[in-house]
Amino acid sequence: MADSANGPKPSSSVKLVLLGEAAVGKSSLVLRFVNNDFQENKEPTIGAAFLTQKCNLPTRTIKFEIWDTAGQERFASLAPMYYRNAQAALVVYDLTKPTSLVKAKHWVAELQRQASPGIVIALVGNKLDLTNDGSGSGGDAESAGGDDLGDARKVSTEEAKTYSEEEGLLFFETSAKTGFNVTEVFTAIANAIPETSLKSARGVAASHAAGRAEEQRVNLNGPRDPNAKEGCAC
Amino acid sequence: MDSLSDTIWDAVICGTGLQQSLLALALSRSGKNILHIDPNEYYGGPEAAFSLQEAESWVASLSDPNSQNNASNGGVFRAASITKPEATSSALKFSRSYSLALSPQLIHSRSELLAQLVSSRAHRQIDFLAVGAFFIIKAPEDPDHKAVLTRIPSTREDVFLSKAIPVKAKRGLMKFLKFVVDYDSEPQTEAWQPHADAPLTEFLRKEFKMEAELQTYIVTLTLSLDGRISTRDGLAIIHRHLSSMGVFGPGFAAIYPKWGGISEIAQVACRACAVGGAVYMLGTGIKSMQTGYSAEMELELTNGVTVKTRRLVQTDESASKKVVVSRLVSIIDSPLNSLFAAVVEGAQKPAVAVIAFPSGSLKTSTGKTWEFPVYVFAHSSDTGECPVGQSILYLTTPSITDSKEVLEQAVQSFLGAVNREQVPHSVYQLYYEHLGGSAGSRTEGQVFNFPTASPSLSFNDSTLKVVREAWREVLGEAATGADYMVFQDREGAVDDEEMYD
Repeated sequence: MADSANGPKPSSSVKLVLLGEAAVGKSSLVLRFVNNDFQENKEPTIGAAFLTQKCNLPTRTIKFEIWDTAGQERFASLAPMYYRNAQAALVVYDLTKPTSLVKAKHWVAELQRQASPGIVIALVGNKLDLTNDGSGSGGDAESAGGDDLGDARKVSTEEAKTYSEEEGLLFFETSAKTGFNVTEVFTAIANAIPETSLKSARGVAASHAAGRAEEQRVNLNGPRDPNAKEGCAC
Repeated sequence: MDSLSDTIWDAVICGTGLQQSLLALALSRSGKNILHIDPNEYYGGPEAAFSLQEAESWVASLSDPNSQNNASNGGVFRAASITKPEATSSALKFSRSYSLALSPQLIHSRSELLAQLVSSRAHRQIDFLAVGAFFIIKAPEDPDHKAVLTRIPSTREDVFLSKAIPVKAKRGLMKFLKFVVDYDSEPQTEAWQPHADAPLTEFLRKEFKMEAELQTYIVTLTLSLDGRISTRDGLAIIHRHLSSMGVFGPGFAAIYPKWGGISEIAQVACRACAVGGAVYMLGTGIKSMQTGYSAEMELELTNGVTVKTRRLVQTDESASKKVVVSRLVSIIDSPLNSLFAAVVEGAQKPAVAVIAFPSGSLKTSTGKTWEFPVYVFAHSSDTGECPVGQSILYLTTPSITDSKEVLEQAVQSFLGAVNREQVPHSVYQLYYEHLGGSAGSRTEGQVFNFPTASPSLSFNDSTLKVVREAWREVLGEAATGADYMVFQDREGAVDDEEMYD
């Protein structure tokens, strides 16, 4: 997948955690981003899942290590384990469910209190396909109530956007179903990660030690493991 | 929370210290229903790593008679206190830029723990850093002078090049290093077995004609807490040290996980189990249990929920414990760069250095000689445990009267030795005593009890044995012939870094 025309670009790993209420579409967003796929009526995530996906920027490649967490309340104890040392967080709510934005705000507050200082947080309103703005949904139904068949939106763009600006978050409205804006979220996060915190591992301390981490990191698959390089095209 | 009570759990694991977390990792692909809880609001149990704020609440919890952390309720720490000298406390950065490890341990490159982390693929989520030089700090002969740091040569090439050792002594040391390589086979065994239970220092003196100073070099490499390690144990540890040298890169024998050491391994292991479907609950302990009525036991949790499980795995809290070591964690307002130079050219830059005050080199304020060694682990900011421009010292010595005073004095003496012109300051000190307990596991019906690990400065592979016992206990017959800790990468988690090399 390396862009052979441009030769090898510097590659860095970014740990990203997904948070949000159950059934807002966290896993679907990841599935869309990683596999460009969507499953209707997807089973709830149990515990958490770990996936990786690369994001090619003009000058570098970001490899996202994505920790998709379960949204159910009983899994809340998992979150600290995931956002510890995370450089980015995607906090998701459902545009058609105001309580999910309340929950999202809780996560943002917790991240600001507990996660690595300097973490890049993106607030994402998902399920845009259920609203009039949804790409592809024939939306000429103008409705004051906003809850007729054409438009299930219950959280206005304005409200979420204002909140995001106040808290210094990236903000997007997406549809994991149609794929609208999904790649854009991840690209925006990749661009927002400070250059200084890349190349090295994660977190704030690492960000100041930029560029040295590679020479420091001890590779356990080092010289003694002959399989470490299998599949290498070099 | 209903489904918690509706499920019949295959195992409830209580506590997220290293043993329980490794068990969680071992069970992460077993398909078993696992509920993993911890009475604390943080992961890692006795191996946790804390921000300054967390350290403060932890200190408070130790003196709270109702807290499960209190030593009288089974906790393994006590007598904790924090001091921040007024004059320099402004050097402290914000709470979360620190991650203070409660039980920092080096992991030797040949440790089975690393092999298990690799075979289980958990290592992909951990950054390992090199542990660099070992130093001896020598008290000045003249009280007006400052202490001196001397690096311990730990390979034969090193000994050869060392200027600190007289030529005659080098010969004895070379002979010893050669001996240790094959110490456990004939004819070497004949040389040491008669002395197996005698102190290592005595063996070194008698068999290798080593003088006191060289003896302290060797004993320091064993990280023996009281300096009185037996010949049998000492030789085994020196052998481990020497055979670990260079395994993952030139010039170092041990590694340390970034972001708080063992605590990071515990969290990664728990994550792996969560990905496998386990349910995690912090701030939840066991209030009461009922066993013996059926194949399942009933546990009443502290959050009011009652759950049914076939097995309970926990730490043996009823076992008697005794205070083993006193620890002092000190934040220094200097990066102490001179300690973290690469030992060999081209090697990884180390993030940890080990410094020892040999037995008898410190004195209490009343002039009493301190009969034990004091070990100092210096961690650079590359460990992620403190901000850039600072460093952390972790000091350990056996716990008796005066331990605290001796540790505080050791910090000052060390700082004076490391930079004579501009002596760095200790801007924060966390003191506590660490208890140790039973050695083996204990099974009581459906309850498997892990032993309370004894404090140690390097990871001891015997910890892994009890984890495996617990794994066998939970899996039952399914454990027969099953691979242990051998997993494939999960889909989507493939490491493809080589494409960019």
